[in-house]
Amino acid sequence: MLAILFSAPAVIIIAATILVPFGIAVFLSLHKWNLKRPGRERFIGLENYTDWLTDSDFWQPLQTTFIFAIGAVLVIVIISLLVALLLNEKFPGRGLLRALLLVPWAIPSVVNALLWKWLLNPQYGLFNAIWYDLGIITEYQNVLGSMPSVMIWLVIAYSWIHIPLATLLLLSGLQTIPGDIYESAIVDGAGIFQRFLYITLPMLRSMLSIVIIFEMIFALKVFDIIFVLTAGGPADATNVLGWTIYTETFRKLDFGAGSSIAMLLGAITLGMAILFYVFLDRGVEQ
Amino acid sequence: MHQHSRLRLTIIYCCAAVLLIGTVGPFLWLVSSSFQYERQLLNRPPQWLPNPIVLDSYREIFEGAILGEESGVPYQSRIFLGSFGNSFAIAGSVAVIAVVVGSLAAYPLARLNFRGRNVLLFGILASRLIPALSLAIPIVLVAKQIGMSDRLITLVFINLSFVLPYVIWLLQSYFKTIPMELEDAGRIDGCSRLQVVIKIILPLARPGLTSAAILAFLVAWGEFLFALLLSETPASYTSTVVVSLFATDVDVSFVSIITAGVVSVIPPIVFALIFQRYIISGLLSGSLKG
Repeated sequence: MLAILFSAPAVIIIAATILVPFGIAVFLSLHKWNLKRPGRERFIGLENYTDWLTDSDFWQPLQTTFIFAIGAVLVIVIISLLVALLLNEKFPGRGLLRALLLVPWAIPSVVNALLWKWLLNPQYGLFNAIWYDLGIITEYQNVLGSMPSVMIWLVIAYSWIHIPLATLLLLSGLQTIPGDIYESAIVDGAGIFQRFLYITLPMLRSMLSIVIIFEMIFALKVFDIIFVLTAGGPADATNVLGWTIYTETFRKLDFGAGSSIAMLLGAITLGMAILFYVFLDRGVEQ
Repeated sequence: MHQHSRLRLTIIYCCAAVLLIGTVGPFLWLVSSSFQYERQLLNRPPQWLPNPIVLDSYREIFEGAILGEESGVPYQSRIFLGSFGNSFAIAGSVAVIAVVVGSLAAYPLARLNFRGRNVLLFGILASRLIPALSLAIPIVLVAKQIGMSDRLITLVFINLSFVLPYVIWLLQSYFKTIPMELEDAGRIDGCSRLQVVIKIILPLARPGLTSAAILAFLVAWGEFLFALLLSETPASYTSTVVVSLFATDVDVSFVSIITAGVVSVIPPIVFALIFQRYIISGLLSGSLKG
């Protein structure tokens, strides 16, 4: 009774803004519901879904979403692991470096997009100036204006604010590995790479799985940075599902079609989370 | 061995230098750019440090907010300071309410053995698996119909539901670390459950409460999707919305855009650095800013 009383406010807030809208979203996705054509709303069953599933306007963004998400997860996990290994070493200044990791982490994704837009500016960007000085390029490039460079830089910009949290999680995983395992491995003549491969990686596996699953979920629903940095362009090159949902719903005002594709994205995200969980978790047990 | 440790430190500091540049370099360049003249920003090669230090773009924001159209500054600069205040109001309210409501919900989850405890905890966490984009559509539709669109209170409410699962998770794991004996002693002295929570648990859980409040503030401060969809007039724009208006406009000078970006990250970065200990321990106890 006390439990119900205490948790009631939280449960009511969460239910009102998550469960109820979710129910309405399911309802909308089963209807023809376009705000440009008021009064013509009607139940159409799964037609919105079958329309999407037979349309390249769904499959193309889906592919783009996966290219982006896989790229982002790889970049985030590899760099975070390297940084965590560095911060797991004892050296003066380690605490300061760890604290400064919170700078990118605290930057809102929209401001992050603005920051990278400035760094990558085709006429005045710092990166162009540096590449030019180093002789890498002979004239300034618009990296956000063509494939595949736009996808590469989108992944980098997105990863920049996501690396700190992944690093801190992996670091906490590293710190649970007892030091004497390494010592006995050194006595047995194991080199630094062998120790990493046969001790660090296996013992870090469950934390690594958590990071991979979370980052995958986040990356699949990317939206903010797309809105500011590329707007899905150039020519749909960065049109991920999050962007399709936005344009379909809030520009074309087709709430039925928008809701159904949002449901598909939700299902894909959940499916990936479960798939990764089962796959990675089974690996841990072996 | 001495030779070895010197080599080790050299390698470590080389890596640390790369990490340092990668971590704060991009942001410092934004800060440096914000203190330059627009024409200096258009120089090739770029000027690394501002010389002289120019505060025009910062003054623009204040003049624009006070004088309005008379100031002659771009539209976005005029509404920026107001949106900054809105962000503060929203994120501040979210932080306070999330901690109060969150502690109430977290206490029984940590302390009482009741039927459905695991279902409740799991249900609260699982609510975050539903992508915000699919919730945005019905929320916008309903908010417009019941006249709740374009109001700050709506954004407070929505941000609350996004941060509450994290806050509850973090607090219930923190409450568990507080010894049960202290609470029993309070009960014997005749305190009610609510009194026990207020007089014993909450003061002891202050580090946990602080990290929960800061995380809630930062998440709400950075929220963009709902702030964009649910605001119709500058009166309810948040700073992230105005930053996006800046960043997607080609007619505004670079220095104005950059300055807006810098100013809008001052609160989160300052909070993050001041409370870094709390935040790192809070993050590691299972809470995530997404």
